[in-house]
Amino acid sequence: MTAPAPDTTRKYDLAFAKWVYKNVNGGDKLSMCMQCGMCSGSCPIGVQMDYGPRKLFMMIRAGMKEEVLSSNTLWNCTSCYRCVVRCPRSVPVTYILQDLAAKASELGYAPKKENKRFADSFWWSARLFGRTDERLVTAKYYFSFGLSEGIKRGLDNLKIAMGMIKAGRMHIGMPHTVKGRKGLQAALKKAAEIEARQSGV
Amino acid sequence: MAGVTSQTILVVGGGIAGVTAALEAAETGYDVVLLEKEPTLGGRVSRFNRYFPKLCHPTCGLEINYQRIKKNPRLQVMTMAEVAGISGERGNYTVTVKTTPRYVNAKCTACGDCAKATDMEVANSFNYGLDKVKAAHLPHEHAYPMRYVVAPEAVASGEGEKIKAACKYGAVDLDEKEATFDLNVGAIIWATGWRPYDPQKLTSYAYDLSPDIVTNVEMERLAAHDGPTHGKIVRPSNGEPAKKVALIQCAGSRDLNHLPYCSRICCLGSLKHAAYVREQYADATVDIYYIDIRAHDKLEAFYNRLRRDPQVNFVKSKPAHIIVGEDGRPVLCGERTIDREIYKEPYDLVVLATGMEPSVVGGFAPTVGAVVDDYGFVLPEIGDGEGIFSAGVAGGPFDVSMSAQSATAAALKAIQAVRADGA
Repeated sequence: MTAPAPDTTRKYDLAFAKWVYKNVNGGDKLSMCMQCGMCSGSCPIGVQMDYGPRKLFMMIRAGMKEEVLSSNTLWNCTSCYRCVVRCPRSVPVTYILQDLAAKASELGYAPKKENKRFADSFWWSARLFGRTDERLVTAKYYFSFGLSEGIKRGLDNLKIAMGMIKAGRMHIGMPHTVKGRKGLQAALKKAAEIEARQSGV
Repeated sequence: MAGVTSQTILVVGGGIAGVTAALEAAETGYDVVLLEKEPTLGGRVSRFNRYFPKLCHPTCGLEINYQRIKKNPRLQVMTMAEVAGISGERGNYTVTVKTTPRYVNAKCTACGDCAKATDMEVANSFNYGLDKVKAAHLPHEHAYPMRYVVAPEAVASGEGEKIKAACKYGAVDLDEKEATFDLNVGAIIWATGWRPYDPQKLTSYAYDLSPDIVTNVEMERLAAHDGPTHGKIVRPSNGEPAKKVALIQCAGSRDLNHLPYCSRICCLGSLKHAAYVREQYADATVDIYYIDIRAHDKLEAFYNRLRRDPQVNFVKSKPAHIIVGEDGRPVLCGERTIDREIYKEPYDLVVLATGMEPSVVGGFAPTVGAVVDDYGFVLPEIGDGEGIFSAGVAGGPFDVSMSAQSATAAALKAIQAVRADGA
């Protein structure tokens, strides 16, 4: 893990921090952070992150926009909420990471990381059917790595899939959909329009 | 405002603030009644091993105060008494006082025959329950008044008769009952102090899971010569010397889930604990886990003294949680915020610097003449009619010297409140 350490001699650029305070869900609480380390110490997968939440928040204040938005910290959060429960300053750490991930994705920072591919596959199914079909989500995710990699991953898991079908744990036939798919898609389209109008860095 | 009908000043709480305020007012020539809930004066201060920053013993200052009390006929001390109600206004308060039985009257000579007569033991509240005492006991060796007390458990179980029979002075009175009576006073000094924040509420610090995780007030008793270990700092689990010690700052304080305010004494308290450990063991190491060290003004010299000790390490981190390792030692887990390393460090002894919670939280608080803030601190009502003043930690998180200063200030305000000419 080679984290770029903030250069202590450079001038702090508060523009990015101010943008986060204003536009990111929970960002207005970020100024409460006192850098105690409770969140990073509590994080069950903190060691797999480029930076723990505490350091990420310091980097936001230091104006390290590129490093923050392209870090895997945003994508590796499992939303266990341990940091939120323990934070002595009531900073909604999980919300901030979740919304930073969404903003990073919008702004084209999201790297081709597995978490991002999976999130995209999940959302594709939800948008199309109003429900997630685990077969299609899995297939879409596997083939996002390319055709041969998709086939390979599918074959690797074939036995598990057959077992699940046999046990009645996986559905066969057409995907389930919600009633009024057209209405859902119209609603999502409208929501996307509103969001596009409101966002902007 | 009606005229002043009583010039008596009531002081509630006989810790260092209450004792100081009562003496200052009484020595100025006013009648003072001092109420204390426990069987002895001295409160939290009498439970300290030593004061910071000079590391002198609290018994010294308390002894001087007790001498002043004995010499002053205007000051009346009532122990095992607490306030159950206040009504009226400045110059004319009616205070309902509730007393709990001590079962020992003023004939007691503190000879100790009653304690020898019984084998029954009860938890020792003076040592925060770390050890036990006989059911008939002196609250501690420096008690004021120097008088024994019989535990209610002994009276209820019939063991009281044995205790009574052993007293050759007729001092044991098992027929004492709870009583309430009213006092008419002109002003009230509220000095009910604090209790340590309950460490069981800090669930991730596993206080219940290991006897080697103690609070800062318990550490004071471990270091005190009249404490459960006679002053040896050892692991409560097995009695072995505690040579690798972690001190956790802000255990409860500065935490919106617990005490939102800084308790102000814990940093210096923990520096003092580091000094205790280093005095006892030349090969001991102490790690102080902190968010930031708040050693103000003259207290910074004490901080710098500890910083020069290479075996005292300052680790900038609020530990996330404590687990109990396979060898039974507590293991601290968290992130060191300077180098961003995740640590898992085992210790012989972990001390939680739990903060100060005002005693009025969950207890009686004055409902007239004063306001209680969101944290439970008692502040005087602003205006012409105020007659209730807080002293010591009842009014805010203070150390001992600040408590004494606030007590002197409260005494002066109370005197002004009861003077008929209003001057």
